[in-house]
Amino acid sequence: MGASRLPFKNLLRKPGRTAALLLLTALLAAAVFGGSLVIGSLRSGLDSLEARLGADIIVLPSSAESKVSFKNILLQGTTGAFYMDASVLDQVRAAQGVEIAAPQTFLASLKADCCAVKVQIIGIDPETDFIVKPWIDESYSHELGDMEVVVGCNVTAGVGETLKIYDQHTHVVARLAETGTGLDTAVYCSLDTMKKLLAAAEAKGVTHQISSDTDDLISAVYVKVKDGWDVGLVNTWLNGHVRKVTAVRARSMFTDVSDSLAGISRAVTGLIGAVWALALIVLLIAFAMMIHERRREFAVLRLLGVSRRGLRAEILAETGLCSLAGALLGVGIAAAGVFPFTTLIETRLGLPYLTPSAVTVLRLASVTLLATLLVGGVAGAWAAARLSRVDPGVALREGE
Amino acid sequence: MKKSIIPACAMLALSLVVIAGSQTFLAPCAHEDGSLGACHWAGQALLGEGCLLAVLAAAALALKKERAGLYLAMIPSSILGICTPGGLIALCKAPTMRCRMLMRPAMIILFAAMLVVALTGWLLTRREAR
Repeated sequence: MGASRLPFKNLLRKPGRTAALLLLTALLAAAVFGGSLVIGSLRSGLDSLEARLGADIIVLPSSAESKVSFKNILLQGTTGAFYMDASVLDQVRAAQGVEIAAPQTFLASLKADCCAVKVQIIGIDPETDFIVKPWIDESYSHELGDMEVVVGCNVTAGVGETLKIYDQHTHVVARLAETGTGLDTAVYCSLDTMKKLLAAAEAKGVTHQISSDTDDLISAVYVKVKDGWDVGLVNTWLNGHVRKVTAVRARSMFTDVSDSLAGISRAVTGLIGAVWALALIVLLIAFAMMIHERRREFAVLRLLGVSRRGLRAEILAETGLCSLAGALLGVGIAAAGVFPFTTLIETRLGLPYLTPSAVTVLRLASVTLLATLLVGGVAGAWAAARLSRVDPGVALREGE
Repeated sequence: MKKSIIPACAMLALSLVVIAGSQTFLAPCAHEDGSLGACHWAGQALLGEGCLLAVLAAAALALKKERAGLYLAMIPSSILGICTPGGLIALCKAPTMRCRMLMRPAMIILFAAMLVVALTGWLLTRREAR
């Protein structure tokens, strides 16, 4: 048998010991890869939300629940509807510093049959919209016609199918790309279609809690401020001069989401650090015990002519093989535990969650493999250094 | 102790998780109106497949001579389990429904693990027989 096969033979000869080391390194790799993947997905989700919400200011009805409802629609995909008079739009457009003001109208669908869930319907003005339109343009290049809708990627209806909303038949013309936010469960239509749906909802007994006609209802106005203008000043002006509305800076609206994300990142990073420290200590102890147990075996190898350097190489090869196999196993376990449960994690966290690109995932997996090999290498090198100080003669006489 | 008994123990443990999971922590959601959707029957089918694999695993623990054949029988049974939720029996359409976001991925992972265990058990039994 060649010396190169010795590490394999040694690992296979003691399957229990090898399995324990393998599981330990797998735990280490799974913690690093799984934790990094979840944090990366949350960051991607927040980036996606910020990219999709390219407004500087969002104007909402002044009721306390409208702001909460609006955030829940965006982050958790829950349904909500709140309204203000459409005249607000003209007042906002008249404000100094406002470059574009685009309205949106919200409506929550009814739960239909066993598996249908409520969906958020969002009416947009295709001529002025700068929030959803560019996103729709990625999937559908035509104008949204009468009773035509575009659906988020988590809505069950497919392109070409008919979606029944308040007994009105709408035609699905496109499906949008995933954003990892609540917008994935929404249905988008033009304001004209929305007016018909609002009237149909009213006929079904859904009240809009506002005295205006359904033709004059809007839910939110997205504002883009002219270059060179202070967003804060425009926001303050809108709050002071437009009645019964609250103007919110888009960035401040998601401050608490960023804070939650930072909190989760800190917790996961702390957990990874603790697992690493623990795994390194356990690996050092495990290798020290293994070396102690095999002192006589190594002494025999020394007497057979294997140099100290050769022994060190043998130990490092064993730890390297164990670490590599454990890291691959750990990455596999973490991938199986995270990727299939993306929707579940997103729902439970209530935060934007978008799986990073394949390149980023591969990069994370590579870093995990290297880090695990490094930890295994450090533990192996330490054990090898201890062994090189042992005299073979003394080791063989022990226990006689 | 024969090594080939270890996969049978693992198979028994995994099938008990499937049995318990299909009725409790991995079960599809109950409909408000009390009706039974396709996902409910998918859960019932998974319960049956879990029971079948539990019986096969218990038999593999008890019957030494028939162990290789029992492991072989576990292989198609595990594949059946992988194919059941969303494949052979439809689930709810919405990706946010419990059957789609929890039961299906969890059951596929469990049955895939059982497939690996069954294959390992069969290989170990064959090696021991030689």
